[in-house]
Amino acid sequence: MEKYLVTKTSFLKLVDEQIKEGKEVVAPVRQENQANFRRIKSTAEILWGGPQTVVSAKSFVFPPKEELLNYETNDEVRVQPRVEAKPLILLGVHSCDINGMALLDKVFTEKNLDENYVKKRENLTVIGVECLEPCSPESFCYRKDSVLPWDGFDLFLTDLGKNFFVEVGSAKGESFLSGLGKKATQADVDRVKKIRRERDAKFDEKQRKLKPKLSDLPVLLKENYNSPVWAERGARCFGCGSCNMVCPTCYCFDVRDCVELDLKHGIRARWWDGCMLTDFTRIATGEIFREDRGARLRHRTYRKDYYLFEKWGKSFCTGCGRCGKACLTKVVDPLDIANEIYERSRSR
Amino acid sequence: MTIYKPEVAVIKRVEKLTVTESLFDLELLSGKPLGHRPGQFLELSIFGVGEAPISISSAPSDSPTFQLCVRKIGNVTTAMHARKPGDKVGIRGPFGNGFDLENFKGWDVLLIGAGLGLAPLRSLIWAVLNSRQDYGRVFIIHGARSPQLLLFKEELREWENRPDVEFYSTVDVADESWQGHVGVISTIIPEVDFDPEKTQAVIVGPPVVYKFLIKELKNRGVEDDHIWVDLERKMKCGVGKCGHCQINNVYVCQDGPVFRYDRIKNLPEAI
Repeated sequence: MEKYLVTKTSFLKLVDEQIKEGKEVVAPVRQENQANFRRIKSTAEILWGGPQTVVSAKSFVFPPKEELLNYETNDEVRVQPRVEAKPLILLGVHSCDINGMALLDKVFTEKNLDENYVKKRENLTVIGVECLEPCSPESFCYRKDSVLPWDGFDLFLTDLGKNFFVEVGSAKGESFLSGLGKKATQADVDRVKKIRRERDAKFDEKQRKLKPKLSDLPVLLKENYNSPVWAERGARCFGCGSCNMVCPTCYCFDVRDCVELDLKHGIRARWWDGCMLTDFTRIATGEIFREDRGARLRHRTYRKDYYLFEKWGKSFCTGCGRCGKACLTKVVDPLDIANEIYERSRSR
Repeated sequence: MTIYKPEVAVIKRVEKLTVTESLFDLELLSGKPLGHRPGQFLELSIFGVGEAPISISSAPSDSPTFQLCVRKIGNVTTAMHARKPGDKVGIRGPFGNGFDLENFKGWDVLLIGAGLGLAPLRSLIWAVLNSRQDYGRVFIIHGARSPQLLLFKEELREWENRPDVEFYSTVDVADESWQGHVGVISTIIPEVDFDPEKTQAVIVGPPVVYKFLIKELKNRGVEDDHIWVDLERKMKCGVGKCGHCQINNVYVCQDGPVFRYDRIKNLPEAI
């Protein structure tokens, strides 16, 4: 794909013009001491760099609540599927979230294609931005091979001072640029390479270390199904599900009906659900198949770094650090868990 | 059309089986047969209440009518019990793998339905009996908590009286009317006169029974790869997305609910 050098002012002017034309642009903005994705009226509002947004960018392809269908039950029953999707420009997305969406693309399009997800994704223009400083003490994207996007963006920006180095990831991205800037020269590419080398060194120094090799995680976890780590951390876990809510790759959902007061009209919607919640596996007769919090913590960790890692060849944890930050009792951080299991299995 | 849109089906007939279970005859509004295999399930919608996974209780057939045996236990099933013939509900599916009859042809089959497990098992029982000549000896075993809770009583009598079926039933707690075996379902296995080497055994029941029934079958010498289980989990979406039905890395709604025991015995969350 093509690479361009575009002055920041012209790029931001282009976005501002799009906003003026009525296009919906969402970007990270500062809210008190946090960052959140919000619809912006001007590129001046954008928060470039850290901290990571509280909730990941997945909410724009897989919203916390999403109508799947509506119905009317008079003499005839009318069921109308609903696929909400409108064009949206998502600007300033970090690699952890871009990769999160690239992973969600896999699960929502494999067999039984999920149109509600796919249509939103198609309507999304993802403009990523490269992180040159660690965004927070919790993040460990460099350890998860997720400091750059593997896939799933339309444009990707690297800050070169006066200019953005712009990588094009799709035809949609190319057309968004509308001929702005000039093709990057070998010197530009080399400059970016150098910046990335320096960034990697900085991230390697500043981010917490992952003691086992990344590619060894599935086997390490598999061999430690009965590790005391699960029970010990499970005993401290509140089972609140915050880790599920903030995660860019958690995609479990509940489906519920909301009926209007006439009892004839209503919607069926899906809501984010979480495998860390007690009732997640509960069936009508009352059995809860994963009642123990440690077992739920293991299941969550296994999904990220074993089951889905093995199936798709990529860890389903992009190292954004949100779960570790959100966790009230500091038990859920996948890097901490992997390190603890690694240390304890070595000392056995 | 999205994967979450149910088709409308009409309730044609309701038959009360026990205090808590009723049998519903349904037809899709389109008039098309459901086209299911024994052991498959569907998502039943009561609009305004929600969806719940319900196993299909009738044998595969070309008829548009299919049957669901529903226990009144949760939100959707309680609402279903308030429905009457002519009412409309939603259907998605059939989902899951179901039983592949090819695995049983030429074998003796031991069909064990514990409690409400008889509801899905009935689909398999009739599929087997409808081509009886394809199988060796056919054993049907049903257990319930009490004589009042035995399901499909007329069919139980029919199976009991058929010369080509070896039928056993048991109740956990008897009353004066009960002359038969008393004890939880696993206690009847030692009394069943089957040849473990020639038998494919099928267990369908609530989560608690599998461990005990598998143990009894193994005591009799049935190999793990001749035991089939039909597992219950919270199959919320039916299409392998929502995550609720997972047993370790296995999605019950896609890879199950029917499993050959040797293939899942090493999954710690399975049995």
